[in-house]
Amino acid sequence: MHNNLKTQFCGLSLNSPIVLLSGCVGFGEEYTRIDGFSNADVGAVCLKGITLEPRLGNIPHRVCETPSGMINAIGLQNPGTHAVINNILPKLDKVETRFIINISGSSIEEYGEIAKRFDDTDIDAIEINISCPNVKEGGVAFGNDPDMSYQVVEICRKNTVKPIITKLSPNQTNIAFSAQRCIDAGTDGLAVINTLMGMAIDTKTKKPIIGNNQGGLSGPAIKPIALLKVHQVYQVSKHHNVPIIGQGGITTANDAIEFIIAGAATVGIGTALFYDPLVCHKINKGISQYLSDNNLGGVDELVGTLALNSTVLTCDTGINK
Amino acid sequence: MNKASRHSIKVCDCQILAHYQFEGEQYILTLASDMIAKATKPGQFVHITVSNSLAMRRPISIMSVDTENGTFDLLYKVVGEGTRQLSQRKVGDVLSVIGPIGNGFELTDKKRPLLIGGGVGMPPMIAIAQQTKDLDYQSFAILGSEVPFPFANKLADNNKDYQGATRTMPELEDWGIECRLASLQDFKGVFKGFVTDLASVYLEGLTTDERMQVEVYACGPHPMLVAVASLAKEYNLPCQVSLEENMACAVGGCAGCVVEVKTDQGIAMKRICVDGPVFDAYQVF
Ligand SMILES: Cc1cc2nc3c(=O)[nH]c(=O)nc-3n(C[C@H](O)[C@H](O)[C@H](O)COP(=O)(O)OP(=O)(O)OC[C@H]3O[C@@H](n4cnc5c(N)ncnc54)[C@H](O)[C@@H]3O)c2cc1C
Ligand SMILES: Cc1cc2nc3c(=O)[nH]c(=O)nc-3n(C[C@H](O)[C@H](O)[C@H](O)COP(=O)(O)O)c2cc1C
Ligand code: FES
Repeated sequence: MHNNLKTQFCGLSLNSPIVLLSGCVGFGEEYTRIDGFSNADVGAVCLKGITLEPRLGNIPHRVCETPSGMINAIGLQNPGTHAVINNILPKLDKVETRFIINISGSSIEEYGEIAKRFDDTDIDAIEINISCPNVKEGGVAFGNDPDMSYQVVEICRKNTVKPIITKLSPNQTNIAFSAQRCIDAGTDGLAVINTLMGMAIDTKTKKPIIGNNQGGLSGPAIKPIALLKVHQVYQVSKHHNVPIIGQGGITTANDAIEFIIAGAATVGIGTALFYDPLVCHKINKGISQYLSDNNLGGVDELVGTLALNSTVLTCDTGINK
Repeated sequence: MNKASRHSIKVCDCQILAHYQFEGEQYILTLASDMIAKATKPGQFVHITVSNSLAMRRPISIMSVDTENGTFDLLYKVVGEGTRQLSQRKVGDVLSVIGPIGNGFELTDKKRPLLIGGGVGMPPMIAIAQQTKDLDYQSFAILGSEVPFPFANKLADNNKDYQGATRTMPELEDWGIECRLASLQDFKGVFKGFVTDLASVYLEGLTTDERMQVEVYACGPHPMLVAVASLAKEYNLPCQVSLEENMACAVGGCAGCVVEVKTDQGIAMKRICVDGPVFDAYQVF
């Protein structure tokens, strides 16, 4: 691993600024089926989103390809908090990387309850998913209402001393305001962004391709949107030293560097793995190279270094005279 | 995930060594990869990058392997943009391939595998035939197609006529595996009807003892698999089926490719990519 990639995030020491994203790598071990893949190459792994009780998830189709991306509506299939704590956590190789649990509740109390249960485990951090577009109750309903977001983060904060990361939805009007409320409620970090809501239709049957009718759009198609959201959230979070996991369509080292410049302290890789399971090597290498080429000692020196254009025309055209 | 699965799937750049077109927009593609050829078992598949312009890979079954030369063959049909772009790739081009993936078919102590493949569900059946040819098994393959078969069929050496079905796939004949063809179309020497009708003809021709030795293996369109499963039930035969579903990761990471499976603990949603693609027919239909 390249030395200049080591970084700190919410008090955790990471090998690399790469975070594998929730829902893309199962419960942490699935990608080790791939020869050449190692969790040691990434800073942290977010486990699949979980709920208090087990969930079977949505009916198929759960995924479909769209231009430069994909739609998914998995519906939070998971074995429930108890099984995750008892059967899954003990088996994870915690020497290789840091593990983050991703939690969803159908009520504020349920979020609080799950956070409390994980407080007693050796999980490294808790990511609060208030932005899942694929479940009927909860999920994005909490994320689109800044006051509800506040209450969810507040109750989790009361129930755990673990680092809390709040995952924000792009499907809302003012993401920066929402970020501010989550910071007020005590979140340690922010994840920006979750998927955008989308649909695909089979013109033969006139039915939506996704069983759940709609789903979350991810992949390169959402990258420009995600980048702007990271920039907007950073304008708020930088005043509180609350770091961001930038995510949404990152596929190359250059994409990752863009997110860091916009304000992300770490970068999430999800959909890109489906195309290239070994993409993390390339992204690590590219970021490391960029840092040394630019005489930067580490990623933290690059975070939020965006040099905005001056958007006011300064030349005197005489038109208004 | 069990430890044996670790690092079992390779990411390879595979050169196209041959790419033949057959009627009905069917293609046979030969790819070079020593690792995949050697590691594959029947029923496993590969996940292929067909072009740079599509965000997702495409899953295709492995039809046969040549372990000496380090190559494997795929049979696919053009059904949409991905397979159309694949069909345009030329000999010498290199494709990124992930594989072999999946649990594959399990050979059991039943010595008479009945292999039923419909359309582009034929490849895994051919893979089982290849595996059983040198083993103590007496396989019988039934291949069905509504477009002309992607091979020049020939008269079977043993001259057996199963209600009009007299012709076979040359490769299977070379391997010493009896095979007959079925179609609703009028093809010479091909059984006119469903693969399951031909399967009944075959099963009825066996003695009770022989029939007790049959295990059914099937891959093909969903309605065909449903019919095969009910035929197996009627004859009280064990039955393994290979299923399909849209896939994103194909390594068990996304839970995108699930099927509802009946288990002792109740309904479970299992991933077709790594828990399958082969399932016990009695658990999924
Ligand atoms: C385990 C497995 C083995 C397979 N083996 C073969 C084979 O040996 N030969 C063969 O011709 N086909 C096989 N298929 C089906 C093949 O994957 C699809 O025909 C192909 O993905 C269609 O892609 P497209 O872009 O041409 O079609 P489109 O319909 O345009 O595809 C749109 C999207 O849906 C997905 N999709 C569509 N149909 C299927 C399907 N039946 N299964 C999975 N995903 C689908 C595509 O991958 C793509 O992401 C197999 C599928 C699976 C799951
Ligand atoms: C198949 C799939 C499943 C996902 N499941 C979850 C989930 O359970 N919880 C969650 O917070 N985000 C989930 N996401 C969202 C991702 O974690 C990520 O935020 C999003 O896909 C954007 O990043 P990407 O474009 O790099 O994939 C899922 C995404 C995909 C593609
Ligand atoms: S395709 Fe991702 S779990 Fe099967």
